[in-house]
Amino acid sequence: MPRIGWFALLATVALVAVACSGPEGSGAAPATVDVHDWDAVLAAAEGTTLDLHMWGGSSEINTFVDETYGPPLAELGITLQRVPLADTADAVNAVLGQLEAGRDSGGSIDVIWINGENFATMRQADALRTDWAEALPNAALVDWSDRSVANDAGLAVDGAESPWGSAQFQFVYDSARIDPDDVPASYAELAAWIAANPGRFTYPAPPAFHGTRFVKQWLYELAGGHDALVGDDAAAYETAAAELWERLARLEPSLWRGGATYPADIADLDRMFANGEVDFTFTQLPAGIGANIDAGTLPSSARPYVFDTGTIADHHYLGIPVNAADAAAAMVFANLVLDPALQAAKLDPANGWGDGLAIDPTRLEPARAGAIDDVLERLGDTAVRQDELAARRLPDSSSALTRQLEEDWDRNIRQGRR
Amino acid sequence: MSSEAPVPGGWQPSRRWSLGAAVVVALLVLPFVPLLITSLGHAYFFPQLLPETWSARAWSRVLAADAATWPALRMSVAVALAVTAVSMAVAVPAGRVLATRRFPGRAGVELLLFAPTLVPAVAIGIGLHAVFVRLGLDGGVSGVVLAQLVPAAPYVILLVASVFANADLELEQQARSLGASWWRVQWHVTLPLVAPGLTVAALFGFLVSWGQYTLTLVIGGGRVVTLPILLFSVASGGDSSVTAATALFHATPAALALLLSAVVLGGRHAELGGAR
Amino acid sequence: MVADAIGGVRLWWRRHPGAATATGIAPALLVVGALFGAAILAAFSRSFGAMPDPLGAYRVVVADPEFRAAAAMTIAVAVTSTAMATVLGVAAALGALRLVRGRRTLLALFQANLAVPHVIGAIAMLNLLGQSGFVARIAGQAGLIDGPASFPALVHDPASVAVIAHYVWKEVPFVALVTLAILRAAGEGFDEAARTLGASRWQRLRSVTLPLVLPGVLPAALVVFAFTFGTFEVPLLLGRSYPAMLPVLAHKRFIAVDLAARPEAMAIAVIISVFVLFVVVLGAVTARRAIRRVAT
Repeated sequence: MPRIGWFALLATVALVAVACSGPEGSGAAPATVDVHDWDAVLAAAEGTTLDLHMWGGSSEINTFVDETYGPPLAELGITLQRVPLADTADAVNAVLGQLEAGRDSGGSIDVIWINGENFATMRQADALRTDWAEALPNAALVDWSDRSVANDAGLAVDGAESPWGSAQFQFVYDSARIDPDDVPASYAELAAWIAANPGRFTYPAPPAFHGTRFVKQWLYELAGGHDALVGDDAAAYETAAAELWERLARLEPSLWRGGATYPADIADLDRMFANGEVDFTFTQLPAGIGANIDAGTLPSSARPYVFDTGTIADHHYLGIPVNAADAAAAMVFANLVLDPALQAAKLDPANGWGDGLAIDPTRLEPARAGAIDDVLERLGDTAVRQDELAARRLPDSSSALTRQLEEDWDRNIRQGRR
Repeated sequence: MSSEAPVPGGWQPSRRWSLGAAVVVALLVLPFVPLLITSLGHAYFFPQLLPETWSARAWSRVLAADAATWPALRMSVAVALAVTAVSMAVAVPAGRVLATRRFPGRAGVELLLFAPTLVPAVAIGIGLHAVFVRLGLDGGVSGVVLAQLVPAAPYVILLVASVFANADLELEQQARSLGASWWRVQWHVTLPLVAPGLTVAALFGFLVSWGQYTLTLVIGGGRVVTLPILLFSVASGGDSSVTAATALFHATPAALALLLSAVVLGGRHAELGGAR
Repeated sequence: MVADAIGGVRLWWRRHPGAATATGIAPALLVVGALFGAAILAAFSRSFGAMPDPLGAYRVVVADPEFRAAAAMTIAVAVTSTAMATVLGVAAALGALRLVRGRRTLLALFQANLAVPHVIGAIAMLNLLGQSGFVARIAGQAGLIDGPASFPALVHDPASVAVIAHYVWKEVPFVALVTLAILRAAGEGFDEAARTLGASRWQRLRSVTLPLVLPGVLPAALVVFAFTFGTFEVPLLLGRSYPAMLPVLAHKRFIAVDLAARPEAMAIAVIISVFVLFVVVLGAVTARRAIRRVAT
């Protein structure tokens, strides 16, 4: 190539380089924040932009977050910037990628809405800031002695994330189609129901969240309860799992489309349920499906319930990556969401969500607990009674068991029959 | 192109052809009908053909002042403008050379410029991701722009080349021989000749970027939220009405821009419609 | 001074046309070639494993029953979609030429259709063809089916009907616009001569019109094949979960928690890239030969 060509080439390189060098993230200096000096945290947070990375699939939840937390954060001088993810794992992978590339500070993700597998992945990679959550001013309202708060995916939380809300797996049926007295109350009964009503039941394919939960609870039942599987007892798992794959494979011809394919996620299953393609879907919301009915995504005759044998309950949290540029703002946010009035607002399906509490209402003086009681009294029959939910609560398994279960489902069920 | 054009012999125009055209038009538009209805329905379940309850809820969510739609729209426009600008910057000189000059290795150059449009975006994306992670370009806007250049720039180059090939560049020589300076010739002769075609080429570059999901997902890691990324995020929530409204919102500007160009530019450069 | 310098450069330039050519092409080659080359090279180099078995990832991929099923399905879908889109696209173009009125509207719609992103078309097909979708509801209202379950499965189904429907919907306008561009370049009276010689309608179609458009339509069909083979979001939304089509499979391996699957993702990326380029080049060469044979 003649010399002048090389000149143009160099010019282009310069042009591309300039185009690429735009600032990424806020690039602020890595402030060392001490959570115990709350005034200093507030001062450090002022004037920053909080990059909240969270699953963004529900416009109701998105609106709730923007409208409920945006104004009080603004009063503290913090701009809330919510990044809607299709999958939380995207943010997890991004942080791990940044750390791998040596970006130890000034990271673009300040706080992630996280739990379960994603928490386990980040925790094991030491990618989460620790020892801050239990020191937040509002952490006194959280019952940290509760196993389901202090453990996530079988790992000790150790202050590496702060609870935002709680959830419990529930089945949803249509009271216009099935009599409340006829719904199956255990997996054994469900299997009989499916065999008697071929084509009317399916579940999202694991590793979709609700699908994994559905399968895992069946494993609990076959193992004779959750306790048999604690501590990752391999023999207990193998015995129960072998039985589970046997039963699931035997049921497949009676599933929707003969089990030839499964819905991709809970959104698919909700849509199929609402259109009458199947007779059951699932929800995770302790305050029930009122918000879904209001939004018109579930029929008004839909009702949630839990098996007599219990369902898995857990918490979901806010985690701060170790390299977060604005960790102070993230702590302020994690503290704010625990405010009793805002917890009550989140619990109320009329505000679009219906998420469970992260705080223990018995720790509040009666005047501050009033708002929560009001919401609970208004829930009606689109929610399971809170005392019934509490009585049927099962803990989640370790993330190792979850991963094993997902792999084995894939091998035995998805690929197995072909 | 014009409707009064003489009809090729023998194949007499008849109502039959109009009927056929009506069927084709109906099939082209059909997929948008349920999308529009769904966006306006409340509890719009089987077997309702039209919703028992109409509702503007989904649209008011999508168009609300604080809806995620607006930042995503801004991001989509910004990325598409950047992709278009860089594509045009490299396409104008390259297109002119490809249209007017013969040189050794030309076939190889053409192959290299066209191959990226054929290779699956997933393959380009996961390959580029490995490179961009090392350069710190993953998860950011600039990385997404660079990645989108791979499918976008080739189209723009091909279109610009066809514009120059069809333009009567002899006029340049005539103007030069009349003593006009190089710059004056470019500004007063060449530019008016090629401007409409270049506009179409730029529009196509914009649209390739506008519709890109795969590369934005893989390189942006779901965190560079353009409209297609937002659409998938919304779809994961299972609210069919909001999903439908978001999809239509995403489709409208693209269709409008193209229709507008068809009207404004008329049939003159309709042959470019053959590219995509 | 400056004017002299510029004049000097310009003179040098005119005497070295090769330099001008290289300067014009270099930025494009740099941007497209460097990015594309980097992507392919990175995928290529990372698809090879550690020393004892550098081809390990390829071995795993090729032996994987899901990959084999996915490859067969992906090729079948791409070939079917391409064939249907090409035939229908040429037919639509020939039909459009005969229109007295509404030809502009039709062309504008064809062009607008090209601008619709794949994601939107796929979501539209979901609402149209799903078991509780718009067509199923029409069938329900007409009393043809008694519930969503009795409507045939067209989405997430073994035959990939919705995927193919989307591709045909999206690519027919493309093929039609290419065909129309060729016919327009040939002039309006392209089959006038044949007609005056007394050829019948079908004779003219076979021996005049089709040979005229084929040299342009075949490359367009190859492009359609490449698209229908490599698009990711369409099978993601409309296809089966198992086996997933190749682009979806590649992405699934890419985002797997198990980082050991990454080389497999890279290997699939390399395989599908090489396959598409091979098919297109082979197709182009074969087509050119066939056309030359017909022409002489």
